[in-house]
Amino acid sequence: MKGFLLGLAFFFFFTPNALAQTMEPVATEEAEATLSGEPAAVPRQDFTRPTEETRGPLEEILYEQELGPVWPANPVKYAIRSSVAAGVPPNTIVLLLLLPVVAAIIAAARHTIGLRGFGIFLPAALSVVFLAVGPILGIGLFLLIVFVSTYARIILRRAKIKLQYLPRMALILWAVVVGVLLLLFLAPVINAPELTNVSIFPVLILVLLAEDFSKVQLGKSARTAVAQATETMILSLISYVFLTLETAQAFALTHPELLLLLVALFNLLIGKYVGLRFIEYWRFRKLIKS
Amino acid sequence: MKTSNLLGLNARTQEYSYRYNKAKGRRIASSKLYTKKTLAKSGIPVPESYAKFTKPRSILNFDWTALPGSFVIKPNTGLGGEGIIVVKKRARGREGWITTKKSFVTAPDFQLHVLDILEGAHSLRNEPGVAFVEEYIARHKAFRRYSYRGTPDIRVIVFNKVPVMAMLRLPTKESGGRANLHQGAIGVGIDIATGITTHAVYHGKYIKYKPGTKRKLHGIKIPFWTKILRTSVEAQQASALGFVSVDFLLHPEKGPMVLELNYQPGLQIQLANRAGLKKRLERVEDLVVRDADHGVNIAKALFMAHFADRVRAKEGVRTISTFEEIKIKGTKRGQRKKVIAKVDTGAWRTSISEGLARELGLLEPANVLWTKQVKSALGQEERPVIGLTFWMAGRKVITPASVAKRMALKYQVIIGRKNLKGFLVSPEVKK
Repeated sequence: MKGFLLGLAFFFFFTPNALAQTMEPVATEEAEATLSGEPAAVPRQDFTRPTEETRGPLEEILYEQELGPVWPANPVKYAIRSSVAAGVPPNTIVLLLLLPVVAAIIAAARHTIGLRGFGIFLPAALSVVFLAVGPILGIGLFLLIVFVSTYARIILRRAKIKLQYLPRMALILWAVVVGVLLLLFLAPVINAPELTNVSIFPVLILVLLAEDFSKVQLGKSARTAVAQATETMILSLISYVFLTLETAQAFALTHPELLLLLVALFNLLIGKYVGLRFIEYWRFRKLIKS
Repeated sequence: MKTSNLLGLNARTQEYSYRYNKAKGRRIASSKLYTKKTLAKSGIPVPESYAKFTKPRSILNFDWTALPGSFVIKPNTGLGGEGIIVVKKRARGREGWITTKKSFVTAPDFQLHVLDILEGAHSLRNEPGVAFVEEYIARHKAFRRYSYRGTPDIRVIVFNKVPVMAMLRLPTKESGGRANLHQGAIGVGIDIATGITTHAVYHGKYIKYKPGTKRKLHGIKIPFWTKILRTSVEAQQASALGFVSVDFLLHPEKGPMVLELNYQPGLQIQLANRAGLKKRLERVEDLVVRDADHGVNIAKALFMAHFADRVRAKEGVRTISTFEEIKIKGTKRGQRKKVIAKVDTGAWRTSISEGLARELGLLEPANVLWTKQVKSALGQEERPVIGLTFWMAGRKVITPASVAKRMALKYQVIIGRKNLKGFLVSPEVKK
């Protein structure tokens, strides 16, 4: 699963990492070079990156909790404490603990409501993208990428340029990159602090989404593709809201064992549900009424 | 209708698609070439294959002009008519072909398309694909006025050797000649017993006429209906899939041909038939079905649509008397027998006396649908339930009927409530 691997890479790179560190100065230099004279706007807090303070709010929560003996109820809590003490950022641990919950929410939405989205990985990854760059910029970037890739496709077809599949996809990616670069170059003009803070990985995830979008558009219809993309957006917005809930974060940190167990049970339950989905009640309403 | 009659996606996948379909059958269904090979081995008609491409090298020297004037290029995998080019004829005066979408294509276009398929543009997870070229099947004249350019197909869902539901799919201008409901094709329900269309669904809404015309979509008689049903059961048996939908094309001369098998059929078919699939599946789940003919007989007896659904309800409700003359169909060609039947609104199922059933040949093994346990004064007894076809007040009725041994033999047939829909029973006794 390339999606899964990319996801792993994604998480890996958001934690303190050599590549992520080297990528950052490039972006800030760019911003400074063009923004000379003006006071730099404060970038929004990126939850996917470790906080700078010596003791963040999450660590406060962690150390406020009083723990009993390690076994049977507290092994994960102790493990979290020692790894945080060793320097693992608590943000990363909270995100990792909440990710299965997000996946369960997405699975449940599919099987009880009927919201389809593009699989389970993309909405989950997208919610983390929203967390990283903010929902407004996230949706904006997505719309831009879909727009550019669809238009690149149409232009290629209109111009009767016939290419093989992979070179064609590579050319579309080229167009997407140019589009995103243009947007980044606009950052000083529209003075959006979020833009200066965009890293490569949210963009990559969004490009993946755009590829799925255009595949559905070609295979089924534009209508289905738009519907599915909208449902993906709804799912990831719900997941995003959930990820930002402070109570959820605190609960994950203070009751990791309970959380993991509950999520596993919930998945087992949802997996056995064979009733109609909410959307099917609507789809078959004329049959049910008659 | 009760919601428990309807089959939803969750139940389809968990309770049918995966429970009744083994890995081998699923593998057959997910490859169009493997499907064709398996079915052809069992003598089931499939479209003829002209060429198969697995390596880019084989495509470069391929002589497209050696093919017949019309053909279809398809990816071996791929859902919903994705990646299919339908070539209708050679272009006049130019080096090239005309597709059903009326666009002009040349050999390099075909090459590029096949290379795309080999590259995995239409397979799951971008795995390398296989492309093939097969015979183009023109539209049967029965559908000439109903579909737009593409060839309509007929889908039959088969479960436990019984065809349970069927639908005609008509391509529209919007669907670009493809017979897929998601792309804007029209789905029309088909009465299993008679092969006559009932209700039409377009974008999830009921329509009466073909969009933009005054052409009725109900009441179309599907040619070769019984053969289609029998072939669908044979295809199910050949593929070893327990729950499967079989897609047919009607060849103008050669009749029905199986195009594709699908072990996860769409559920819109329920809308087009105004009937719940789950109820029908549960009805046939435990039956012991011997062969294709037996399965078809059971289907016809069990799933006849209401009369009003098949034909316009213009003539309204018919009035019959409590003692009504009916005409029963025998198993011999053209054999009919008139009898006076008693209309009994207190009984559910129609029954026939053993003597009469034997006389008409209805007790032959092929016509016995199943047997049921009956408790009587003599203890446990097994009684056959047979398929019965009769005409009452000018309407044809196909139904399961129990065979009764010891009836008050004044009336050899008793018509139960099950077959009285659309009739009014007048209590007056005509002398």
